[in-house]
Amino acid sequence: MSTTRVAPPSSVARRSGRALGLLPAALVLLVLVLISVGLGSRDVAPADVWQALIGSTDRADATVIREMRMPRTLIALVVGAALALGGTILQGLARNPLADPGVLGINAGAALAVVAGALVFGAMPASAAVWFAFAGAALATVAVYTIAAVGREGATPVKLALAGAAATALCGSFSSAILLADPDALNELRMWQVGALAGRYYPVLVQLAPYFAVGIVAALFTGRALNLLSLGDELASTLGLRIDRTRGVLFAIVALLCGAATAACGPIVFVGLMIPHLARLITGPDYRWILAYSTVLGPVLLLGSDILGRVLLPTAEVPVGVVVGVLGAPVFVLLVRFRRIVTI
Amino acid sequence: MPGRARVAATLISAVLAVTVAGCAGPSEAEPDGPSAEPEWSYVSGDGQTYTADEVPERIIAEAYAAKVLMEFGITPVAIWASSPIAEDVGLQGADFTGIEVIGQEWGKIDVAAAAELAPDLIVGDWWPVEEAYSGFEAGVEDTSRRLADLAPVVGASQGDSIVSLIEGYADLAASLGADPEAIAQSRTTFEAAVTDFEAANEENPGVSALAISPWDTNYAIAVPAYAPELLDFQRWGLDVIVPDTPDPDFPYWETLSMETADRYQPDLILFDDRNHPGNEEILAEAPISAEIAAFAAGQTTTWPAYWVHTYGDYAAELTRLAEVIRATDASVGE
Repeated sequence: MSTTRVAPPSSVARRSGRALGLLPAALVLLVLVLISVGLGSRDVAPADVWQALIGSTDRADATVIREMRMPRTLIALVVGAALALGGTILQGLARNPLADPGVLGINAGAALAVVAGALVFGAMPASAAVWFAFAGAALATVAVYTIAAVGREGATPVKLALAGAAATALCGSFSSAILLADPDALNELRMWQVGALAGRYYPVLVQLAPYFAVGIVAALFTGRALNLLSLGDELASTLGLRIDRTRGVLFAIVALLCGAATAACGPIVFVGLMIPHLARLITGPDYRWILAYSTVLGPVLLLGSDILGRVLLPTAEVPVGVVVGVLGAPVFVLLVRFRRIVTI
Repeated sequence: MPGRARVAATLISAVLAVTVAGCAGPSEAEPDGPSAEPEWSYVSGDGQTYTADEVPERIIAEAYAAKVLMEFGITPVAIWASSPIAEDVGLQGADFTGIEVIGQEWGKIDVAAAAELAPDLIVGDWWPVEEAYSGFEAGVEDTSRRLADLAPVVGASQGDSIVSLIEGYADLAASLGADPEAIAQSRTTFEAAVTDFEAANEENPGVSALAISPWDTNYAIAVPAYAPELLDFQRWGLDVIVPDTPDPDFPYWETLSMETADRYQPDLILFDDRNHPGNEEILAEAPISAEIAAFAAGQTTTWPAYWVHTYGDYAAELTRLAEVIRATDASVGE
């Protein structure tokens, strides 16, 4: 592995530091999980929340805690991890600091495919919708790269982001148009379309769990390949990496992660953008560590945003997709503005 | 019977209103002054008496108003609706063949097409709270409002009972030359349905009902004060639950979150029929639905939400609901 090979003598200390750094991140996540389960529009005292979790309390409270807040929290965990890992892989794959499944239009493409599928075939369970999401994610990826590659300098980061923004707007408009045309039949997708964890219960999680499991585990094993790719195609290939095949596999993992995440709670932007940069800031350039941190920090961001959305307004919830968008936009602007300080 | 008494009272008050208004002097829509006895006059929902030298024949009506006028035998030349006619649950069963449609979207009326039809009269509900007729409320496009330049606008008033609304249209239809027999027949069928509905509540007393419309992650409960058909149900013996805290900015509903959807425990759940079964599916997916005893027991049906304008529709709905009430276990809720 390149970074360890050229690492300074202090690498052992640094490595244990990086491992220890995961601990506070995990603690923050744990606290957020507790808040998420304890906080909602129904007043349940903390002691009762605990009673509900261990299963010895008033039936209705237990139903709300166990069957409404728990799945919402768990979905936030897996979707946060999936989007952050998807973003990390995309950034490494494209050597592009602006790459994010949301920014590049991949999630919007997946969402459009889900909405179009529902229009043609009627409302469908998440286990069926996810296949439309995969197809949409893959198509959007190809389309955005094709558009961005036009021109002499090829697919530069900003051109990719622009093509992605265009694709996001286009897919979003089409999705909205379809939803407006048939609001009753597609009732369920209306809130989902802006990116929402509310109203998503266990069936969604259970049906999508296999895809999340495969995607997240596979993503965690891409560190070595991403490290090699970061050396440049030529050197990576000299070091024994089969570039094209690796890229194909990596793109497939991204489509799997983003398709599953979008099928679960709609197109969410910026998680895959912010988290890899934050992780890189903590760990340095080794993708194995960036991936590990992304797995923890992605859920921190998504769950934190979801909790924020629940308390921001006195009467209604702000969908998590909106909260993340508001938090992510300035980060995105900073990254574009000061791109030179962020090297990949 | 309270139902019949109600109808009779409404009729009497309508007659009195016409008489009083008739004595009150010159009317607004009659520029020629009070000297000539007008051929046509109508006390409209806004409380004013409209008159004309000839009985209006070419009528353009809002689709709900058109449906009730047609039930009484008066056919308009054109209609406008606030949503696609084929999808509107309130317009099912109406045959608008041969009638020009000049609008199928809220706030949008093709006034040019209306002008070509040279209407004598425009008909739509009067909304007392908004002080406007259907088609002329706040938010309607200015170009659509110019419909009012073509002819006088009249219509029955929305209020605290669907019966008075329908009777307002019965008066209008009669003034326009409808056969009084047809009106009376339609009313008789309806009164039988009211009697049946009241009987159902007497046979199975104590049934409480909650009128709801779940959407997204919300559990919206209709406030009867703003739903005349729910007020009617209460008058005829059904205990329609009044929610405690209507939404401050839109008091038609009290909107609960799904997490608190078990707050009210009725014996019978009435789903808003305009977006049924989608709203029931949304509730069914939310695990809290298992904690709403009536839903868990399958004691659910729909209610005709905010659209009833004809005795025919009302009679059919009341007859259906009477059967549901008879079959409801009144010990399910709290």
